[in-house]
Amino acid sequence: MGNKQTVFTHEQLEAYQDCTFFTRKEIMRLFYRYQDLAPQLIPLDYTTYPNVKVPYELIGSMPELKDNPFRQRIAQVFSEDGDGHMTLDNFLDMFSVMSEMAPRDLKAYYAFKIYDFNNDDYICAWDLEQTVTRLTRGELSAQEVSLVCEKVLDEADGDHDGRLSLEDFQNMILRAPDFLSTFHIRI
Amino acid sequence: MMRSALPLLGLLLAGAEAVGEPTQEPGAPGEPPSGLALFRWQWHEVEAPYLVALWILVASLAKIVFHLSRKVTSLVPESCLLILLGLVLGGIVLAIAKKAEYQLEPGTFFLFLLPPIVLDSGYFMPSRLLFDNLGAILTYAVVGTLWNSFTTGAALWGLQQAGLVAPKVQAGLLDFLLFGSLISAVDPVAVLAVFEEVHVNETLFIIVFGESLLNDAVTVVLYKVYNSFVEMGSANVQATDYLKGVASLFVVSLGGAAVGLVFAFLLALTTRFTKRVRIIEPLLVFLLAYAAYLTAEMASLSAILAVTMCGLGCKKYVEANISHKSRTAVKYTMKTLASCAETVIFMLLGISAVDSSKWAWDSGLVLGTLVFILFFRALGVVLQTWVLNQFRLVPLDKIDQVVMSYGGLRGAVAFALVILLDRTKVPAKDYFVATTIVVVFFTVIVQGLTIKPLVKWLKVKRSEHHKPTLNQELHEHTFDHILAAVEDIVGHHGYHYWRDRWEQFDKKYLSQLLMRRSAYRIRDQIWDVYYRLNIRDAISFVDQGGHILSSTGLTLPSMPSRNSMAETSVTNLLRESGSGACLDLQVIDTVRSGRDREDAVMHHLLCGGLYKPRRRYKASCSRHFISEDTQERQDKEVFQQNMKRRLESFKSTKHNISFTKSKPRLRKAGRKKKDGVANTETANGKPPRDLGFQDTAAVILTVASEEEEEESDSSETEKEDDEGIIFVARATSEVLQEGKVSGSLEVCTSPRIIPPSPTCVEKELPWKSGQGDLAVYVSSETTKIVPVDMQTGWNQSISSLESLASPPCTQAPSMIHLPPRHLGTEEPWAPPALPSDPLLNFAFPPSLAKSGRSRSESSADILQQPELQPLMSQEDNTHLSPGAANPRWCIQFNKGGRL
Repeated sequence: MGNKQTVFTHEQLEAYQDCTFFTRKEIMRLFYRYQDLAPQLIPLDYTTYPNVKVPYELIGSMPELKDNPFRQRIAQVFSEDGDGHMTLDNFLDMFSVMSEMAPRDLKAYYAFKIYDFNNDDYICAWDLEQTVTRLTRGELSAQEVSLVCEKVLDEADGDHDGRLSLEDFQNMILRAPDFLSTFHIRI
Repeated sequence: MMRSALPLLGLLLAGAEAVGEPTQEPGAPGEPPSGLALFRWQWHEVEAPYLVALWILVASLAKIVFHLSRKVTSLVPESCLLILLGLVLGGIVLAIAKKAEYQLEPGTFFLFLLPPIVLDSGYFMPSRLLFDNLGAILTYAVVGTLWNSFTTGAALWGLQQAGLVAPKVQAGLLDFLLFGSLISAVDPVAVLAVFEEVHVNETLFIIVFGESLLNDAVTVVLYKVYNSFVEMGSANVQATDYLKGVASLFVVSLGGAAVGLVFAFLLALTTRFTKRVRIIEPLLVFLLAYAAYLTAEMASLSAILAVTMCGLGCKKYVEANISHKSRTAVKYTMKTLASCAETVIFMLLGISAVDSSKWAWDSGLVLGTLVFILFFRALGVVLQTWVLNQFRLVPLDKIDQVVMSYGGLRGAVAFALVILLDRTKVPAKDYFVATTIVVVFFTVIVQGLTIKPLVKWLKVKRSEHHKPTLNQELHEHTFDHILAAVEDIVGHHGYHYWRDRWEQFDKKYLSQLLMRRSAYRIRDQIWDVYYRLNIRDAISFVDQGGHILSSTGLTLPSMPSRNSMAETSVTNLLRESGSGACLDLQVIDTVRSGRDREDAVMHHLLCGGLYKPRRRYKASCSRHFISEDTQERQDKEVFQQNMKRRLESFKSTKHNISFTKSKPRLRKAGRKKKDGVANTETANGKPPRDLGFQDTAAVILTVASEEEEEESDSSETEKEDDEGIIFVARATSEVLQEGKVSGSLEVCTSPRIIPPSPTCVEKELPWKSGQGDLAVYVSSETTKIVPVDMQTGWNQSISSLESLASPPCTQAPSMIHLPPRHLGTEEPWAPPALPSDPLLNFAFPPSLAKSGRSRSESSADILQQPELQPLMSQEDNTHLSPGAANPRWCIQFNKGGRL
C-alpha cells in the first residue's frame, strides 16, 4: 500500500477520482498499466506532475495493435494535442469513457469523434470513406466504398444535409438500444 | 383435431386389415401361384416406410389444421397441441389395437429425430450472440445442470426417506440421482418450440436456448456415469470411478465439440471444391453434419454438442462457398426437416404417454419431482445469475431470471433417456417413466401455455425485429476494433482481445484455406450487408412497382444497375416513403409507353383489386423483408394506387395531347437505356444480379452521352425541386403543346390543358402548388432513381425553364409529368375545398410568382421533407412549415385553383 501512495498525492488521487469514473484502486491499476507501456519513460512518482507522454510510435508499434485499423485514430482522439501522444490524463480519460459508468452520450460523443477524421464536427462522406476503407482493409474498390458510404449517410442523415452531425449520430446509435451497451471495457 | 385424426383412423383400419390379410397370403406358400396375378397386395414390403411417411403426413396435416386458426396458435404453442393430438391418436390406437403400437423409440429419437433439430439450431445460431454470452451459457449449462440434477435427485431421495414416496418405489440414492440427471436437463426441442413463439429478447433467448443445447454433454455424462454406477451397484463404486466420472465430463464435452469442429472443417473444405457440381452442395451439408452426429454418438461423446459445433463452425465458410440457390435449399431443407422432426417428436410423446403398461403412478414421487425441479431450477438460476452479474456488462435483471427459471422446459430427451433405463437394474423404472411423462407434459403444456402471458405481464423486453442497417454493421465493426485497440493499449487480454485475435487468424489462414478465392473476395461483411440491402430494396421495389416495369420490358436485369446507380435513393424512398418509387416509375412507364396506357390502367386496376391477396402474401414473408411499418406502407400503397388510377383516367381523358410529343423521344431514350444495360451485361458476362456498380457506370455513361448538355444543368440545381415544379409542369405542358417556350411567366396561356383562372391562383400561391405537387411524390432522390427516362423529359423542362428565366431546378425533371396528374387525381374534390382556403383569396400579381419561388427556395429544408410527406407517417408533419402542414390539402387547393 505504501508505495502506491507515493505515486500520487492524496489531492491528485481525489482529482482523478472526480474527473473519471474510477475508484482509487482502479486508478492505481490503470496507472500501472500505463506505466507498463513505457517503463523506462514514465516515472513512478507523479507527485511532481511530470510532463511525460507516451509517444504514439510506441503505442502504434505494439504488436497487438499492428493490425488494428483504428489505432492511430484512437490515440489521436484521446490525446490532448491530437498527435497521438498520450499523457496519463489522456490514458485515464480513455478508459473513463469506456467504463460502464460513463453515460451513453459521452460514449456516443467519443465514438463520433473517432469517426470524424477531419475534426470538423461532422461525419462527412470523406470521414466515412476513411472508416470503411479501414474496416475493409482496402478490399473494396473506391467506387464500392463510396456506394457504401452514400448509403450509410443516407440511413442516418436525419436532416438531409449530406453529412452526419453529432445529433444524427446519436439518434442513430441510440435507436438500437444494445448498441452502446457493449461499448465497455472492464479493467 | 378430429379432421386430422380421420385419415389416421383410416390408416389404422387399413393397417388392421392388412395385418389380417398377410397371414392368409403366406398361409399357402407351398402352393404354386395359379397364374400371373393381376393384382397383388404387398403391404408388408412397404409397411415400415409407409408408416413412417404416413406418420409424418399426419403430423404435417395436423400442423396445417392448427394453423388454420390464428387464434388458437397465438394462444397455445404448437408443441402443446401436438402433444394433445398425440394423446388423442394414442388413445384411438389403443382403443382399436388394444395395445399401444407406436411410441417414441429412443433409438429413432436419437438417431433420426434429434439431429435435424439440433443441426438447424446450430447452423442458424447467431454465433456472435452466442459467443458474447458464452460465459453465462456455459455456466448455466454446466453448473446449472449439475446443480439441478444433484439437488433434485438428493431431494427426492430425502422425500423417500421421509416416507412420502410409496414403498413400492424401490430406489436408492443412486437411482434417484440417475433420475435427477435425466429429468433436470432443459430440453432444446421443447425450449425451441416454445420460445420461438414467445419472442423474448435475443439475449434471453440465446441464454436459455444455448443452455439447453450445451447441457447435453453434462446430461449425457451424468446419465452414463450414474447408469454404470447403478449397474455396478453402489457398493462397488470406488473413488477412482468418481474421478473418472469427472474426467469423462471433459472428454465427452470437449470431444464432442472437437468432432463437430473437425467435421465443420471438412465440410467447409469440401464445399470449396463444388463449383462444378453445385447440385450436391446442400446434400454435403447434411451428410457431413449427420456424420458428425453419428461419429460423436459412436464414440459416446456428446452428439448434440458435435452437431451444434459443426453447424456453428461451418456456416460462415459454407455460406460463402455454396451458390445462392444451394443456400436457399439448405435453409429450407433444414427448416423443413427440423420442423418435421419436432412435430413428430411431440406427437409421439403424446402417443407414448397413453401406453399405461409402461408406467406406474406414485403421487408422492410425481408431485415431489414437479415441485423440486421448479424450485431448484429457480434457485439455481438466481444463485448463478447473482454470481454472473458480478461479471456481466449487461446484468440479467429479475424479470430475465423469472423467465429463465420458468423457461426450463423438459422434453423428449428426458423421456427417451428414461425409456432407455434397464428395468432389471433400475427396478423403479416404471415410476420414473410416469414421473417423466408428467414432468414433460407439465412443462410443455402448462409452462408452455403460460409463458407467453407471463412474458407479456412481466413486460419482458421483446426482441424487436429491425432490419440490419449498414450503419449498424459499420459501427459494430468499428466498435469492435476500437475496443480491441483499447484493450491492446492497456495490455488487458479481455474478450475483445481474443475476438480480435480470432478474427485475424480467421482472416489470415482459415478463410484463405476454406473459402473459394472468389467468395473470399466478395465476402467482406460490410459490402455483403450493402449488397443484401441492395437486393432487398430491389425486391421490394419490384414488389411494389416491378410488374409495371416488367410489363414494359424493363425487366429485372436492369434493376441492379438502376438500383446501384441511385442505390441510396431506392432504399431511402422505399423506407421512408413507402412505394413512392413505385409511383415515379409508374409515371415514367406511362409516359414512355403511351400506347400501352390501357394496359397500364388495367394493371392498376388489377393492382388495386388484388390488393388484399398481396397483403396476405406479404405478411407471410414479412419476417425477412418487411419491417414493422408494413401496414403503413400498405396504406400508402392503397393511396397511391388509387391516385394512380385516377391519374391515369384523368390523363387519358384530358391530357392525351400533352404526351404525344414527348413520347417518341422518351421511348427512344428508354430503349437506349435498355440497350446500354444489355450491352454491359453481355460485356461483363455476368448474371444480372451481380451487375452491381459496374453496370451502373455503364448506364450512367449512356445517359451522359445522350444528354450531356442537360446533365451539366442538372448538376447545378440539386436542391430546388420544390419551386421548380410548378413551372416545370406548366412549362412542359406548354412545351409539349405549343412546341415553343413562351418567354413570359404567363404559362396559363396554354388554354387547352389548364383553365386560365386556376393557374393564376397557383401563381399567386406558388409555394402552395409547389408543395402540393411535391408532397405527393418526389423526394430529392427520386430523380436519381429514374434518371434515364426522366432526364429526357427533364431536358425539355430544363430548356423551357431556362427560357422562362427561372432559377434552374434540377429536380424538376422528375416532376414534369406529375402536376397534371395530381390535378387530375384530386379534381373531383377540389372545388368544395377551394373556398375554404383563406389564402386563395390573397392574390399575388403574376409576376410575383418568382418571388414565391424564391421563398420556397429559402425554405429548402422544409420543403424537402414535404416531398415525402403524404407517403410518410404523420410524425413528420412537425417538420413542415404551417403552410405545408397538410400536403394533401395543398394539392386540393392547387387543383381547385386550376380548375
